[in-house]
Amino acid sequence: MPTVLQNIIRFILLVLFQVLVLDNIQFLGYINPYLYILFILALPVQTPRWFSLLLAFTLGISIGICSNTPGQHAFATVLVAFARDGIIKLFTSIEEGNNPTPSFYTFGVSAYIKYVVILVVLHNVALFFLESFSFVSGWIILTKVVLSSLVTILMILGIQSFSKK
Amino acid sequence: MLTENFCYKKTSFPVCGFAHMKNLINFLIQYSVVFLFLFLEVISFTLIVKNQDYQKSVFLSSSNSVASTMFEWSNSVVEFFKLRAANDNLSEENTALKNQLVKLQNQLVSLKKETPDSVHFRIPPEMEYQFIAAKVIKCTTNKTLNYITINKGALDGIKPDMGVVSDEGVVGIVKTVSPKFSVVIPILNPKIEISCKFKRSNYSGGLLWNGEDSRYANLNDIARHVELALGDTLITSGLTSTFPEGIPVGNIEDFKIKESDAYYKIKVKLAVDFRTLSHVKVINYLNYQEQKDLEKKSEEQ
Repeated sequence: MPTVLQNIIRFILLVLFQVLVLDNIQFLGYINPYLYILFILALPVQTPRWFSLLLAFTLGISIGICSNTPGQHAFATVLVAFARDGIIKLFTSIEEGNNPTPSFYTFGVSAYIKYVVILVVLHNVALFFLESFSFVSGWIILTKVVLSSLVTILMILGIQSFSKK
Repeated sequence: MLTENFCYKKTSFPVCGFAHMKNLINFLIQYSVVFLFLFLEVISFTLIVKNQDYQKSVFLSSSNSVASTMFEWSNSVVEFFKLRAANDNLSEENTALKNQLVKLQNQLVSLKKETPDSVHFRIPPEMEYQFIAAKVIKCTTNKTLNYITINKGALDGIKPDMGVVSDEGVVGIVKTVSPKFSVVIPILNPKIEISCKFKRSNYSGGLLWNGEDSRYANLNDIARHVELALGDTLITSGLTSTFPEGIPVGNIEDFKIKESDAYYKIKVKLAVDFRTLSHVKVINYLNYQEQKDLEKKSEEQ
């Protein structure tokens, strides 16, 4: 399947799954995993940066509209898309001309785990602080960031370990 | 040569044009991604700030037609599984209403005997409410800023700032309205505070959610001299024009006060279970505009 088509389908599926399923599920009271960020994490490595920024903005707005907080999701997702390139360069050595999709196979297990953990935590921190910095006490936000990140990371790693090369 | 070197040093003025234009363009190209990044983040941040203004962004909320159609569809699937519970609730309410009806009819009969003269009776203006029944098609409880989307909108007479209740008690306040749908800010959103009072003692305070558990909220502004007991019932105070007086809000689950505090810390168990919420009623206060206008007028004077 061509990569472009694959990514379009992934975009639609992740948005629907996020909005219709994950937003309605209660894990231990107040955890809301934000799996949709997997779309940005799984973009091919050489995707032009301006393009991944625009994609991230579109993704954030689509998710945000459905939960009535458009700005927060867009902000956090664009931030992740911006930081992604630096993180990839830091942990992996992809040869010039190669354009792999990030996964356990292409990055190596430890590099991929680091990549997912850092970006998911970044996303959650930005999101929860923007959503509630003036309303709710710091400890609650921190608990939410830690628990939600953990569940999101486990879901992403789980999905990736099942997917074929 | 000399002049050009000279120009490089004072880069901030476009005095000797061409070389600087070139520099500027190179600079812009080199950092175009950073600029795009900053530009998108500024837009996002503007949306966050603007979104707090009431009723402006129908398009950017879940009451826009694409999102709400999707939620309505998904809700019709989910609701099928909730039918039994909804039926039980309805029949219970039905019985209670019938009982009340009988009681009132009896009272009416007895009153008529005592006052044979025709008394001109009017509903007091603060009692003129009308209910608009609506179905919840989306409701989150696990976020910090939760919202509810319902399937009635401006065409059904709903306007922003109207109160929303369910059979159990207070749900929230209407925020955005599109022709067929509305978005409600529930109690489970720290952006609103509901004015309520104790049924027993009439002391009033503001109810605010702390973002943690969808079953509980905190009550503020109750001074230490007020006598409290676990299980005391909280009802709406009727001090705002959004809710009439006497709608259940919740019960006291727990309260604390330190030696040095002037106010209690009260944990309230909410009357409404938001995780099973399916049908709500929007309160249309018929004299809302008249009351607002009057209040505005007297503030201006």
